[in-house]
Amino acid sequence: MDTKWNNTTETVEIEPVMPQRKGTGLRAAAAFLTFFMGVSLTLGSLCGAVGRRAIGSDYAEWWQNDWQETPVFRNRISNDLESFLAIGVGRTVDWYHPDYSVEDTVSGTGTIWFFADTPMASYETSSAEAQDTSPDSAYKHDLNTIYAIHAADGKKYSNLEEVTGYRIALDEYSKLPKGYNFLLIYEDGKVSIWKDGKKLPVYDSDNILDEDSLWNVPGYTNFKVGEEEAKVTIKMAVRQIPILYKGSNSYSYNSLYWIYRSLQNSHEAWRSLAISFCVGLVLLAAWFVLRKERYAADQAIAKVTFHIWTELRFLAVFLCLLCLTVPMLAAADGYLWWYPDDVSYTIMQTLRCFGTGLFNPGAALGLFWAVWFIRNDHHYHPAETRKSLYRTVSSAMRKKELTYPIQKRINRRIAIRNLATVLATLGSFALLYIYLETYDEIALLGICAVWLVLGLLSSILWGRRERALARDFGLLADHVAAVQSGELTTPLDLPADADLRETAERLNSIQSGLKAAVAEQTRSERMKVELISNVSHDLKTPLTSILSYSELLMQEPLEGAASDYAQIIQQKALRLKSMVQDVFEISKAASDQLPVKPEVLDFGKLLRQTLADMDGEIQKSGLTFKLDLPEQPVEITADGTRLYRVFQNLLQNALNYSLPGSRVYLSLKTTGKAAVASLRNTSRNELPEGVDFTARFVRGDESRTDGGTGLGLSVAKSFTEACGGTFRVETMADLFTAIVSFPVSMHKPKQ
Amino acid sequence: MNECILVVDDDREIVGAIAIVLEREGYTVRRAYDGLGAVEQALDPAVRLILIDVMMPKLDGLSALMRIREKRNLPVIVLSAKSEDTDKILGLSMGADDYVTKPYNPQELAARVRSQLRRYTLLGDVHAEKREGEIVNGRLSYDPERRELKADGELVKLTATELKIVDLLMRNPGRVFPAEEIYQRVWQSDSYACENTVMVHIRRIREKIELNPKEPDYIKVVWGIGYKMEQHN
Repeated sequence: MDTKWNNTTETVEIEPVMPQRKGTGLRAAAAFLTFFMGVSLTLGSLCGAVGRRAIGSDYAEWWQNDWQETPVFRNRISNDLESFLAIGVGRTVDWYHPDYSVEDTVSGTGTIWFFADTPMASYETSSAEAQDTSPDSAYKHDLNTIYAIHAADGKKYSNLEEVTGYRIALDEYSKLPKGYNFLLIYEDGKVSIWKDGKKLPVYDSDNILDEDSLWNVPGYTNFKVGEEEAKVTIKMAVRQIPILYKGSNSYSYNSLYWIYRSLQNSHEAWRSLAISFCVGLVLLAAWFVLRKERYAADQAIAKVTFHIWTELRFLAVFLCLLCLTVPMLAAADGYLWWYPDDVSYTIMQTLRCFGTGLFNPGAALGLFWAVWFIRNDHHYHPAETRKSLYRTVSSAMRKKELTYPIQKRINRRIAIRNLATVLATLGSFALLYIYLETYDEIALLGICAVWLVLGLLSSILWGRRERALARDFGLLADHVAAVQSGELTTPLDLPADADLRETAERLNSIQSGLKAAVAEQTRSERMKVELISNVSHDLKTPLTSILSYSELLMQEPLEGAASDYAQIIQQKALRLKSMVQDVFEISKAASDQLPVKPEVLDFGKLLRQTLADMDGEIQKSGLTFKLDLPEQPVEITADGTRLYRVFQNLLQNALNYSLPGSRVYLSLKTTGKAAVASLRNTSRNELPEGVDFTARFVRGDESRTDGGTGLGLSVAKSFTEACGGTFRVETMADLFTAIVSFPVSMHKPKQ
Repeated sequence: MNECILVVDDDREIVGAIAIVLEREGYTVRRAYDGLGAVEQALDPAVRLILIDVMMPKLDGLSALMRIREKRNLPVIVLSAKSEDTDKILGLSMGADDYVTKPYNPQELAARVRSQLRRYTLLGDVHAEKREGEIVNGRLSYDPERRELKADGELVKLTATELKIVDLLMRNPGRVFPAEEIYQRVWQSDSYACENTVMVHIRRIREKIELNPKEPDYIKVVWGIGYKMEQHN
């Protein structure tokens, strides 16, 4: 029961996996998207934050919510106060703000507003107001600051009238109109400030007067006012939330609004950076869960990016780098320097320069993803398969070039090289001429450059090709040598674009043809030997019966001629037996299948032994043997048993066919490096001319009734050659000469 | 005597011819015409020797020989039309005691059968009676002290010169002696062109000890070098 249940649960467990497999593509895409977006958002927001900090585009720290607390606001207010002081004492306001009286090129109502969504106040500036020449005209229409100036000479300047039919006293904070929350009163050379109903400690606080606060109000050491200025009273109030007033010819106009807007913008920017960063982190977390699914997507992307040329890839990387470094270099220009006194300042400056480049996260992200995509592609595609413009073009050219025969190819290469050399020489002469005319050193550098380029070209581009060609020639030569020495199995494998590829392939086909031929020959030789072996076996079996029974027959009491007949059968069967054996051995020798055991032996001794072995027959023959054998050993390398058969046959031949009572001459001579044995006898019968006595079944006696097999000389020749010697027969009239020669062995005999 | 011999060949006439020869010598002959039959009949303890062909239907002679060897220890002579050295070596290494090529000489075959049977019958006695210093080489045994050579346990009658040659060769089986050395040691004098003299004596010795003096098994000529006593197990 248990096992059965286990089995079913196992199958149940396996099944839910199957539908998940179907969604692999989707999951991979999701994984990649989370990875892509996560990295982009986190990295982008980080870069943006660093860049934003480095550039210093913010008026305030991100945590400062109140724009009126920012240094830039204080700066603005103190500048305005100075301007009003100037107006109060009747000075022209031009000494601090260079942009006070800059005329808008489009005067009157034609001002272009870029922030279409900015809320607009309903005050229209008439052309009459625009031409107002009063000293405070530049301030009049910006009601974000309302002011009243009691000049030293008793005059009053104020923009309070501008608030339609509304006169306000700026004496007290509580009397400020609605929407205004900042009041500054300058009286008797001292400044009092109220903000949000509270009086700010202007003079009794170190905070408000420190260097970075940018308060620059009269009444303390760095801003002493004169007697005239002390008589002036200035009251100014600032709106809590500035609004945009339309129409003015001055850049100082609406400046408080822009300060406010800018702070809002920077807050928004920081907020969006923070949100992107958080979203990015969440996406990265999601990717971390799905990370194993991503590989399919990586692979799919690599499949697509594979088709992009390497040059384009690196161009993309280069452009991104350029976008990054150009702002860095611009920021560094004039700032980036080594300050030996202040290392931390130097480091800060350097970091700031680097940070500037990151202000535009697009370039940084582009660089990151370009490198990531290249890396991803390289992970899936090995270097030699990657596509590049250079490779495409050069392989196309190479393909075209390979259609020409090799000599034309090489000639073309030489011609191109010569042409380049000629051009470089001509160019050098031209540059030399220019130098001699102008003494401009650049011309000399140009000559160097021309030859450097030529040298690089020939060493890298042509040199590689030539080294490859040299290598291939070497391989080809080696291969030819290998084929010659009988190596037929391994083909020569040259690269597909090698110059000698075609030649190598042809050689390979010759090689394989040769291999097939050799295999065929070996096969047929083997079959031949097998055939002979089988035939000889099949002949020997009935022959055994014939011999056995003829022998038995001869032992029976036979009448009359029957005894002779039995004897003839016996004789002929014995002859047949030796013929079968001889044919078998000759055939094997002819197919190089005869086993030989070569050893160093004394040729002279072998001849003496053979003579001794056949002594009985020699004595009976009545022939005289004349011997000329050297007493010192004549060493040759041969198979003794086979060579014995050679001389046994030769002597047998001489005994069978010599003229009765004649002399047989056997001699052994060493001539140079050869040991030559010759056997001469006088034939009983007339020797026919033009007959190869060593051919099978050839005899001097055409009638073939002499009892020989006709194979003796053939066996002698086959065996001699199998042992590495040469066998020759010479006839002159009735003189028959057999000559057997072997190379004299250089080896010392064994003890 | 009436020892029983099993003759195996797929050619019935050859079996018949061998049977006639052996029966004339006084043996009883059993016949088999394939390897399986041979294995079957060989199990009969009455069979004392087997003559077997190699190329046969059902089971070839060498395989049959191996199967018989698993069961019985008796002399086996392989009779084959394959006459090459490699075939002989293969047959002997598979456990054959002798290897005779077809077409065979009936007298020689009978002699080999006799020799094998004698060796197997006498084997126990020969070893039991083996004297101190006695040299045994296949069918031959030589007692240097008594200066006696036995072939298949039978004393071989040798002349004084022949005995000297046999003494030299039997003491150094496998070693090749040039004719000059044999002459010098046996006749105690230097001589040139002694080849004939030595050869004549060797031929005579062969006729006394070899089963087929034309194709000697023991005293062999090493052509171009000398003479040696072939070493047998």
